[in-house]
Amino acid sequence: MLEQIIEGLFLTLRVDTFAFMAIGLFGGMLVGALPGFTTLMAMAILLPISFFLDPVVGIPFLLGVYKGGIFGGSIPAILVSMPGTGAAVATTADGYQLTKKGKSRKALDMALFSSVFGDTASDIFTLLMIVPIAYLVLQFGPPEIFAILTMSVVIVAVTAGKNPLKGLIMLAFGLWISFIGSDPIGGMERFTFGLFELRGGIPLLPLLIGLFALPEIVKIVGRTNVGEASVATILGERLTLAEFKRCLRTICRSTVIGTCIGIIPGLGQMVAAVMGYTAAKNASPVKENFGKGELEGVAAAEAANNAVNGPTMVPLLTLGIPGDNVTAILLGAFVAQGLRPGPTLFSEQGPVVFGILIAMVFANLMFLVIGYLSIPAFARIITIRSNLLVPLVTMFAVAGAYVYRSNPNDIIVLAIFGVIGIIASAAKFEVMPLVMGFILGVPLERAFGQSLSLANGEILQFAIFERPAMVAILVATPFLAWMLRKKMYAD
Amino acid sequence: MFTKLMTTAVVGAATAMLSFGAVAAGYPEKPITVVIPFGPGGSHDLNARVFTSVMPAHVGQPMVVQLTPGASGQKGAAAVAKAKADGYTLLFSSNYIDQLMQHVGKAPYNSMEDFVTVARINYAPIAVIVPGDSPYNSWADLKKDVKARPGKVSISHSGNWGALFVPAAQLMLLNDMKMNMIPFQGGGPALQALLGGIVDVSLGFPSTIGPLILSGEIKVLATAGKKPIYKDVPSFADLGLEGDVGMMHRMVMAPKGIPADRLATLRAAFKALQGDKTFTRLLKRMGENAEYMDGPEYEKLRPGQNKFYGELVKSLTK
Repeated sequence: MLEQIIEGLFLTLRVDTFAFMAIGLFGGMLVGALPGFTTLMAMAILLPISFFLDPVVGIPFLLGVYKGGIFGGSIPAILVSMPGTGAAVATTADGYQLTKKGKSRKALDMALFSSVFGDTASDIFTLLMIVPIAYLVLQFGPPEIFAILTMSVVIVAVTAGKNPLKGLIMLAFGLWISFIGSDPIGGMERFTFGLFELRGGIPLLPLLIGLFALPEIVKIVGRTNVGEASVATILGERLTLAEFKRCLRTICRSTVIGTCIGIIPGLGQMVAAVMGYTAAKNASPVKENFGKGELEGVAAAEAANNAVNGPTMVPLLTLGIPGDNVTAILLGAFVAQGLRPGPTLFSEQGPVVFGILIAMVFANLMFLVIGYLSIPAFARIITIRSNLLVPLVTMFAVAGAYVYRSNPNDIIVLAIFGVIGIIASAAKFEVMPLVMGFILGVPLERAFGQSLSLANGEILQFAIFERPAMVAILVATPFLAWMLRKKMYAD
Repeated sequence: MFTKLMTTAVVGAATAMLSFGAVAAGYPEKPITVVIPFGPGGSHDLNARVFTSVMPAHVGQPMVVQLTPGASGQKGAAAVAKAKADGYTLLFSSNYIDQLMQHVGKAPYNSMEDFVTVARINYAPIAVIVPGDSPYNSWADLKKDVKARPGKVSISHSGNWGALFVPAAQLMLLNDMKMNMIPFQGGGPALQALLGGIVDVSLGFPSTIGPLILSGEIKVLATAGKKPIYKDVPSFADLGLEGDVGMMHRMVMAPKGIPADRLATLRAAFKALQGDKTFTRLLKRMGENAEYMDGPEYEKLRPGQNKFYGELVKSLTK
């Protein structure tokens, strides 16, 4: 295997590979930074370019777009409280507060470093452990996914915030919103009030932009000295080594969490980010600082969501199975090159597979440089005067909500959730549990329905004899919840 | 208030742009939008990326892909049905969206009255697959066991009324079998469930299962169509399942009111595409066939599909 890894390394050491990867990274970052434009869309649009490039150039190019895009999404999250992608939700919590304190550059730097660290570590882990991971991925069926999602919901519920009742209300509200649309098993319509537009459910990005960005806009407008002043007058200093070292424990913890979540099919970056964030908050001696501008919060979220990337590539590379839309586009890029991912590719063209994983590691390192050099330019956004910035942000919020699916109705969704966000903020309800409920609701219900169908009416027998792992996780959940709760509210 | 203003502004700008385009000298004189009623990364998306990247050479203008997923494909179809029938907005559809969905729920359009086929690009025949170590070695084995234990044998599919669900339902209806259908979110997760031993049977397209057959991870029991695709694996016709069963057609459609000359231009361009080496090479690499069918010929299939799918939906939802 070592020989194949080395051979793969030599395959990627090409000038054009690096040039295209750099273009992809920078382009992906720009697209990711624009709200409403998802990384996925950028990849789908750029896919045909890879048809006409060499495999070891075209695929790293698309990987660059992907990685750049994920980081790009955290830029507006930190600067103007507008998550550009779903993965940046948890980054918004502390990132924007840091910006308000005039520490936007520190926050962006921390996001970059922890992203690159989490991603690189998970890629190297994947590279070395690809065979066991491939085995492990197949062991997770709907019952286990259901148990893990249940555990996630419980963790969100017990760590929801100062006032547990308010957190629970928001979580339940979020879960209910996720029920709107067609149910994932039977396809029956629920809570759609007969409206065709609601049949597909509530769209994620307009909901996020509405909940996070609009209340902040209203807050700025509500200030008396609006006009010449800007959100923060100073760009602030860059991140220091000491600050990075202080967060290193958190970054490592989030990397492990993110990598594990990446192995479980169907969970993804958003769940990883929130779990990493929750774990960091729980372990911190200064829990009350989280959500008020704690660098560790940004580090925890960003390391976790990027650490998902390595393992999600495994089913694609070893079995040719795309687990999500991003890997489905990569599969398209592979096959158009005449490379069929799957067991045969892995055994016959191992070096190509390893070459692509190695290219992912190089992409991370290169992104460190590209990101570091472009952060000062992005950070300037917040020095724009409020009376210009507010209309600009509002425009991007509306345009972002619209462009996500080119659907004018999504602007209504944006407005509704903007109002919900404003009310919640006035009543001191946190919106994060709502978002988590919404994100976890659909996969949780699907996995539950799938498990029930699989059990075929013999639920207990099925659970105990065929899926003992599910039972173990479900039994452990209350204990874990009790422990977390005790630790969280010790003082 | 503000959002309303924004909407008005956006709509206004769009109308202004459209009215410029209306003064048509030679069609097409601006890019053509192809709406895909699915999300990114699916087989429709990939096939569309292939033909739209080659099409400019034949039609003289770029073709722009616009993904409009939602409501099992009905959202994208509805958008095209509502669009101006000027030949600048096309739909890249499938036979299920075209003829099946209206039987499931009230559709915001009428397929037969709102759409006309430009060309069928290709079709994907379904394969019935089981894990390599499955006790089923033939279609007959599977059928026997399903009949002996109705509702106990589980089959994974890509989601309700999707490209794997409909063929599974067709097979069950035509053979009077009952299987336990487990929905997954897309073909990838459905296949993964089969490999992980979570379900007994699944369905897949040759473009996605090729390497897994070679490595012995899965066995194919039957494939759709008249001719067998794999050696020693019977086709549906061999098993006595005649007709348009288990095939997903991918076709480009236009709003029905499209001027006849523009429809002719488009049909000629898609026909010319068949001689394009880059197009056929890319399709072949993706494991897709280039079984082109011209618009008028495909039109003849649609009433039959409509009738069959109507019965299918009735049998499943009764």
